[in-house]
Amino acid sequence: MVIRPRPFSIKRMPGFSLLALACFFALYMPLAPLVVYSFNAGNNIALWEGLSLRWYVAAWENDLVQSAAIRSVVVATIASLIATVLATMAALGTTRTRPYRGQTSIYAMVNQPLMVPEIVTAVALLILFALIKESTGYHGYAYLVIAHTAFCIPFAYLPIRARLEGMDHVLETAAADLYATPWRTFTKVTLPLLLPGILAGAMLAFVISLDDVVITEFVKSAGQDTLPTYMLGQLRRNITPEINAISTVLLGVSVIMVTVIFFLSRKKT
Amino acid sequence: MKLMFNAILSSLMLVFSGITMAAGELNFYNWGNYTNPELIEKFEKETGIKVTITDYDSNETALAKVRAGGHGFDLAVPSHSHLPIWVSEGLIANARVDQMPNFKNVAEEWRNPDWDPGRQYSAPWQWGSVGVMVDTSVYSGDINTFGIILDPPEELIGKINVAPEMNDVISSALLYLGGEACSGDKALLKKVRDKLVEAKPKWKSMDYGVIEKFAGRDLAASLYWNGAAFRARLKNPDVRYGYPREGYSLWADAVVLLKDAKNVEEAKTFMNFIMAPENAGLISAFARYANSIVGSEKYMPEDMATAPEVVVPAEFIGAGKFYPTCSPEVQKIYTAIWTELQK
Repeated sequence: MVIRPRPFSIKRMPGFSLLALACFFALYMPLAPLVVYSFNAGNNIALWEGLSLRWYVAAWENDLVQSAAIRSVVVATIASLIATVLATMAALGTTRTRPYRGQTSIYAMVNQPLMVPEIVTAVALLILFALIKESTGYHGYAYLVIAHTAFCIPFAYLPIRARLEGMDHVLETAAADLYATPWRTFTKVTLPLLLPGILAGAMLAFVISLDDVVITEFVKSAGQDTLPTYMLGQLRRNITPEINAISTVLLGVSVIMVTVIFFLSRKKT
Repeated sequence: MKLMFNAILSSLMLVFSGITMAAGELNFYNWGNYTNPELIEKFEKETGIKVTITDYDSNETALAKVRAGGHGFDLAVPSHSHLPIWVSEGLIANARVDQMPNFKNVAEEWRNPDWDPGRQYSAPWQWGSVGVMVDTSVYSGDINTFGIILDPPEELIGKINVAPEMNDVISSALLYLGGEACSGDKALLKKVRDKLVEAKPKWKSMDYGVIEKFAGRDLAASLYWNGAAFRARLKNPDVRYGYPREGYSLWADAVVLLKDAKNVEEAKTFMNFIMAPENAGLISAFARYANSIVGSEKYMPEDMATAPEVVVPAEFIGAGKFYPTCSPEVQKIYTAIWTELQK
């Protein structure tokens, strides 16, 4: 009988569960009071006065919150759609080709927004867009959409690329063998297999755009407050549980989307 | 749902049109949660000018965006400490506020502030002071001194908070030790440092959001701003606001017309509008700080018109002063003291 050594698994390291639990605790504990106090009946974010949904109603009925939320969703939708299309093309271009010179540097360049500090991008965009705004007189939403698209690209790119790398070339080769044109191979074989990755990438990009503060604060023109920049403006004066309620909803949306992404990009076993 | 759909549609249309219409618009760039929606509604109804409000959260953000240009705003609300920078960098147009019809309502002492001599550039918005809040059920002695924070009486030790604002804290300590804010006197600054380091172990926290903690009686004293003291008293009737006799600093935010404003006439109409007592009263009613307009008390909520936190008692008026931003050399020493205090 041959005794096969068990493969290394981090799950069997001593103290793994304890450490994992501690990490989850550190990650989620700070959010608990925020969520709890969003259901406070009183005016206060630190004194509990009973259970109520009043702040959710207040937030829902607040015109400023409504218009900021709609603006956030519109910008996030458009930006994540464009970013996903660009990211899909980039992912195909960096995996479905013969290796070429500079492939790694292209990979690094696509992921640049992950490395460059957000404030640097924000200041750079502030200066650049100011020049364009002055010379064209255009103050619309295009600036926000462009900025959001730019920093959403790597978030869409990574899951799509991961999916592509895990996909077997054999299927595409087989399609080509059966005289399918490259376009037909792409639409009938590659794209359907890639779809979960694309959806995951798009949703991740959407969440990232929805949550952005720093770049938005610097790029926004008159009347373009998004939900996060609106919330930032509220913090200076009197914080009421309304902010907790809005935060809880944002948190809920993010958690739901990340969960969906997880199920979409899970490997079938 | 229909409302939502319309809103989405109009945002989409904005994405594609974008360029602001010329007539009857005003873009107001102000601190978040600082503009009374009723004030804007009243202005829109009376003048037919449509106002768009955009928020900022610090003097630095506002200055950076306006400096870069192409921002599309007509009016902004810098603090007195930053206003001279805006003027010297040519970011503000001279609106001749002093010649506007409603300027007659501006209180005498607000017509010629050091930071806007002759008051040509800025229309008053709100102002306040840096003082001490004390729960008088815990300590009933004299509260009109920064000694409450820096040489605290026995009863208050361990129940003191200090606002985490470098300039306010160090300037207050300088005033307490007989100097002036932003003083470059090294020996005095050394004493300030020693005093703060000595006092810190007697404090409980350096934090914002004190109103709840006074309401819950977790804190008994704090170096803080008058508007918050007023709101805390409404929740805990024992809270009082002290105006330090040895001197305290004042701040003011004022509305200025930006040099590259597109809607100059609309902006001037608004500046004149907010100097009318009934409108200034609305401003204060919302953000709970004083304005500088005579007769506006009549239009404030009753609890506010007579509040000692809002209406400075006569005996303490002379001790309050405006201080500009300190010189870079002094700023450096402030930062060094502050860093040491954070340890």
